[in-house]
Amino acid sequence: MAFALLRYGLGGSREPKRELPATPDLKSSYEVVIIGAGGHGLAAAYYLARDHGITDIAVLDKGYLGGGNTARNTAIIRANYLTPEGVKFYAESVELFRGLSQELGYNIMYSERGHLTLAHTDAALSTARWRAEVNKHLGVNSDVVLPDDLRRICPQLNLSQDVRFPIMGALYHPPGAIARHDAVAWGYTIEAARRGVEIHQQTTVTGLKQRGGKITAVQTDRGEIACGNVLQAVAGSSTLIADMAGFRLPIRTVPLQACVSQPLKPFLDPIIVSGSLHVYISQSARGEFVMGGSADPYSLYSTRSTLDFTESLTGDILELFPCLASVKLMRQWAGMTDMTPDFSPVMGKTPVENFYIDAGWGTWGFKATPVCGKRMAETVATGEVPDILTPFRLSRFQEMAQVGERGAASVGH
Amino acid sequence: MKIMDCPLNGPRNISEFACRGEVRTMPDPDTASDAQWADYLFMQTNPAGVAREWWIHLPSSYWFIAERDTRTGEILKTYPPDELFKRPNRPMSSK
Amino acid sequence: MSGTRLPAPAGARLDRTRPLRFTFEGESYRGFTGDTIASALAANGVRVLSRSFKYRRPRGLYSAGSHEACALVQLPDEPNVPADRRLLADGMTITGQNYAGSLARDRGAWIARFEKFMPVGFYYRTFFRPRGIWRVWERVIRKRAGLGRVNPKTPHGYHDKAYAFADVAVIGAGPAGMAAALAAAEAGAEVTLIDENPEIGGALTYGRFDADGRAADEALKRLAKEVREHAAITVLTDAVCTGLYEDNWLAIDQGRRLVKLRARDIVVATGLQDGIMVFADNDLPGIVAATTVQRLIWHHGVLPGEVAVVATQDEWGYTAALDLAEAGAEVSAILDTRDKPSDSALAKLAEERGIEVLSGWMPERAEGETEIERISAVPVDEAARETEEPRNIECDLLCVSARPTPAAALFAQGGAKLPFDPARGVHLPTDLPPGLHAAGAVNGETDLKRVIADGERVGKAAIAGETKPARKTAKKTAKKTATTLPPQPMLEHPEGKSFVDLDEDLTIGDIRDTVALGYQDVQLLKRFSTLGMGTSQGRHANPPGVTVAAEARGDEIGQVGLTTARPPLAPVAFGTLAGRQFSPVRRTSIHRWHVEASAQMMVAGAWLRPAYYGPPDEAESRIQEEAVAVRRSLGLIDVSTLGKLELRGREAGAFLDRLYTFSYQKLAVGKSRYALMTDETGAIIDDGVVCRLGEEHFYVTATTGGVDEVYRTMLWWNAQWRLDVDITNVTAGYAAMNLAGPASRESLAKLCDDVDLGAEAFPYLGVREGHVAGVPARILRTGFVGELGYEIHAPTGFGLDLWQAFMRAGEDAGIRPFGVEAQRLLRLEKGHIIVGQDTDGLTHPYEAGMDWAVSKKKPFFVGGRSIDIMRARGLTRRLVGYQIENRDAPLPKECHLVIRNGEIAGRVTSSAVSPTLGHAIGLAYVPPELDAKDGKFEIRVEGARMVEATVVPLPFYDPENARQEL
Repeated sequence: MAFALLRYGLGGSREPKRELPATPDLKSSYEVVIIGAGGHGLAAAYYLARDHGITDIAVLDKGYLGGGNTARNTAIIRANYLTPEGVKFYAESVELFRGLSQELGYNIMYSERGHLTLAHTDAALSTARWRAEVNKHLGVNSDVVLPDDLRRICPQLNLSQDVRFPIMGALYHPPGAIARHDAVAWGYTIEAARRGVEIHQQTTVTGLKQRGGKITAVQTDRGEIACGNVLQAVAGSSTLIADMAGFRLPIRTVPLQACVSQPLKPFLDPIIVSGSLHVYISQSARGEFVMGGSADPYSLYSTRSTLDFTESLTGDILELFPCLASVKLMRQWAGMTDMTPDFSPVMGKTPVENFYIDAGWGTWGFKATPVCGKRMAETVATGEVPDILTPFRLSRFQEMAQVGERGAASVGH
Repeated sequence: MKIMDCPLNGPRNISEFACRGEVRTMPDPDTASDAQWADYLFMQTNPAGVAREWWIHLPSSYWFIAERDTRTGEILKTYPPDELFKRPNRPMSSK
Repeated sequence: MSGTRLPAPAGARLDRTRPLRFTFEGESYRGFTGDTIASALAANGVRVLSRSFKYRRPRGLYSAGSHEACALVQLPDEPNVPADRRLLADGMTITGQNYAGSLARDRGAWIARFEKFMPVGFYYRTFFRPRGIWRVWERVIRKRAGLGRVNPKTPHGYHDKAYAFADVAVIGAGPAGMAAALAAAEAGAEVTLIDENPEIGGALTYGRFDADGRAADEALKRLAKEVREHAAITVLTDAVCTGLYEDNWLAIDQGRRLVKLRARDIVVATGLQDGIMVFADNDLPGIVAATTVQRLIWHHGVLPGEVAVVATQDEWGYTAALDLAEAGAEVSAILDTRDKPSDSALAKLAEERGIEVLSGWMPERAEGETEIERISAVPVDEAARETEEPRNIECDLLCVSARPTPAAALFAQGGAKLPFDPARGVHLPTDLPPGLHAAGAVNGETDLKRVIADGERVGKAAIAGETKPARKTAKKTAKKTATTLPPQPMLEHPEGKSFVDLDEDLTIGDIRDTVALGYQDVQLLKRFSTLGMGTSQGRHANPPGVTVAAEARGDEIGQVGLTTARPPLAPVAFGTLAGRQFSPVRRTSIHRWHVEASAQMMVAGAWLRPAYYGPPDEAESRIQEEAVAVRRSLGLIDVSTLGKLELRGREAGAFLDRLYTFSYQKLAVGKSRYALMTDETGAIIDDGVVCRLGEEHFYVTATTGGVDEVYRTMLWWNAQWRLDVDITNVTAGYAAMNLAGPASRESLAKLCDDVDLGAEAFPYLGVREGHVAGVPARILRTGFVGELGYEIHAPTGFGLDLWQAFMRAGEDAGIRPFGVEAQRLLRLEKGHIIVGQDTDGLTHPYEAGMDWAVSKKKPFFVGGRSIDIMRARGLTRRLVGYQIENRDAPLPKECHLVIRNGEIAGRVTSSAVSPTLGHAIGLAYVPPELDAKDGKFEIRVEGARMVEATVVPLPFYDPENARQEL
């Protein structure tokens, strides 16, 4: 282990070489234009280049790369969904995540901590069983555990039955993991750029030119670019881009807030979620408690913070861990999320022929980054939507065929 | 915390209120196509700008309409629903 | 060095008559009441307080404003305690943080020797091959990272909240804040003045604004007196304003109390925060900010060094030098980074006192084992460094007056902009939103008179409702003079580290490397290097960090920008934010009786309900016995938690028709009918019973957990439909109980003589109003549990009396109270669904097998169109009843899966052994083609065993419904 350190120190030059590309001049046309340089857009660019030989790609972002929800999420990765379509999709994501550091040559700090969804009621315990049964059927490691097991898995939890909402059990998902979210974006960026992909930061899309049901050009504040295919991957602003393309989405833009504590020595290993209390908490490698709750109660295109959020969140956290009362909150922030009626994303084709969509991620987008990038790349390159994505098609709403994820989605992350 | 000016109760903390989304007009359920009906159910305008929304003051269960700028969160105007919905107003079949 | 206490007037905060004992790192020390942890340690000559985040370097008090993490210490029940702010208490046990072994000899300090192997972000490029190895490394890194420790035995402690209101809230009770508060109060405003210190006065309490310090003293005396005496000013001290939220909502941390203050106008007069001077090993303990030196002297009576060097870039350093000299320290030199000698009165006074002033010089390097022993100083000018020899100066204190930054984070929280002002060399607030004002030093003012004048101006403006951004004038002057203050110089030395971020151990080189790697946007720079991500959130680190980045990028500082300051301004304890936890509990009027009868209570929404009666270890048999009692003779259950709604009006029936799936307009008075509610997508959301009490009067029940939403939904629809109906939620107004079993009629007859209970006079589903045990009551003949039964609703105040009357009247029949568990069992035998258990968020009535509950005749109901569409598309699943013939088979649990051809085909929603039928029964979703009598399917139960189930028609029990219709 020490060897890895030494080799880096001796081999590494003290004059570091640029690894993150500068924004180049815009060309007049690209084979593929990706709107949104977040994890999803960057991953799609990478897999288009790696798997489909398409490198004439511009990834556009109105801000800095990975600066939207990629930068703001709480970096939880899991596959313990309720519906078979959800479980299959996220299981593939987990598999890709596991090898991502090696694949990208960039340490995304993928750390399998185990994931506990606490149940405080009979109904929640039943839902936990439902998820566990579906997960196990599809080869995903999940099980219902009772307070005695919890005492072993997470001894710090307040397992007293003498509280208002005692913990009756939990869904335990050992592969549940956290990762360094920014590193995912940077790793994809560096490897995509190495293959010729261009990343244009501070480039705002202002319009989409259409002819004959196809997008012919993407207009930006740095000029117009002709395009073959277009992929939108912009959480928060999904509706605004779809408006430019001329179709409607079942999406509301809602802030989701999160916060971290000051760094502390290791206290908590697993990721803890309480559906009834609407909170989740994990401890990062730096020692900070990373915490979040449910999305804000009304829509907003803004990332303002509220005091109500930290007040109620800390109250709930202290129900689970009363000993954290003297731990201090250090920073709170918000992201803008796409909320859909069935708590499931929208991926695949749109009413516009050469325009593809990756949206509606609610509060679950980060954990889908690699699989979404890979499968959306496949969709864009071949024009065919792979089976794993079809349950999440936009047209499901027209067909009144919502994804049944609602039962497990009282708290998302 | 934001303040919402309730037409019935006056200015109160926004934590006393809940939002039920944009004010929308139900298409005639008898004549609307399946697609129009599904569009009504699921599709959202989700404007980045002024939205006209249903809000309720929870302790008094009073529904009203608020116009809100979704970019800034600024609440521009609140008023009772009868300014929009006059009797008879029956968004339903003529059968 | 050993610490020295100074006599009064130094040490204004101390009560020297009340000494305190404490220990630090196991050694006993003494301090005084009024000391902070840091001042008491300084008085005892303790310099090293903690070890740094990455390199484990010894660290001590630098700034007394919590602007870096160097002075964070550990208390037994509290990690990361700011020693510079926390008051000393008697008997305190204090330790350092982030070391192995002892603070003085940290076994983990070896890491610093490997610094060259750990360039910025090195962990992104290593520790990941082979796959899985990161988990091993992470354990090592986690142990090294973090600062303090959580003690799992820490008690929750008491915290509370207060709500406050003000016309004008002034944050910061320094000269500008006091002047603003007075001006606003004089103009008629109710003012709250907030300060984080124990006293008002701010920098006036320790700072020296002129040669003899008279100006500060006079201003303090005058302003503090007027503030204290003004009836319209409320002063909050020891109060840190940590957040400015929407609509001027302030979070104020007072330790055990969180004050939430709503102000019409807010004046931010938070003054300046200490900067750092960047040179090699600028983190050695004994390097102390000038304002901290002054606070130690004037607040705590501590002389922090005997031989001092002062490094400054403005006049402030001279004031600290004079304070030190007057307090008895030897000041060896003042290093002034400005190349022109200062000709101020302060500088002259310093020289008169024989202090050598070196203009255009600064420290290049600090040296010492664990605390400062000497510095080497060099000329700032590069050319001069070629010719001038570095000067080594011995000292035990390096007092630093680096360029301070306006404490402007609250402006960023409030939505203002913070552009870089080249004339002043700092970021200053502009574009303030209405209701937010800046006063004094945060506006870029430094001269005391002008600071006070600015406070007065802003205080008046705040009350006048003026929203003109104050910075406009400042900007103009900036343009007119067009001077640019050069960045504060920074120096590197091959033998040491020049830190720009003390929290995160980041050096000039780290920032430069980050830029070279391409992480150039200030946000990427922060995220990759971790600049400003430490506990002080960049308060001291952003200015030098951004300066280095600008140079490395070849940009102006203004082009680099700043990362957004987010709340909280200073760390806040979870307990303070959480306050006391209130979670309302609703108890029925019969609650006390249940508890006395050893009911095990369960949570149902906000309510508590008896699950069953008896000890938990007998749960199973008790539940079965309760159910059997109902079937055989008589049971009584408290159903007061049911939702209850009154609808009155000419169009009440029409309203219900639009809302529920059945039709009610033609329901006869004195009758009831099942009510199923769907949302617009056709999904089932609630159920209950509609009773018609009069032509224009309906009484509607809803589920315990659903009624609030049902009530709101009713009001929402009628806000649009505007039908002639009044709707009231009377849930809390009525107690309700269900008297069920073959003996229920006889038993009820004993208590009720004004209602004909005969089977024909009062048939199944009938509703009557009368008196029971002398109590006015609504009597519903219901069939939820499948026996002859009556649901009696009576005013809540009579609930307990009525219940007890029933218990007495039913004694002969062997009446037994039953709980929710037995009721669930009984209703399952009757095949009734529970919304939320047997339905999910998408279930529509046809899937639930409730075709019978959907009216096909009426023109419209809320979910009607959607249900039609989904029905036309064909069902994908259907809820059926099943039984398990094999009595040895394990009992499925709710949510066990139905498996067909190796695929998931459905799930169990209800499951129980029927005490009446003697075998397992349940409800399950199955593919629609299985929806036929004798259809067989498999359920995968615990341990992956497969159990065969057979579809049977519902209800399981008494299919002819003979018993409930008796």
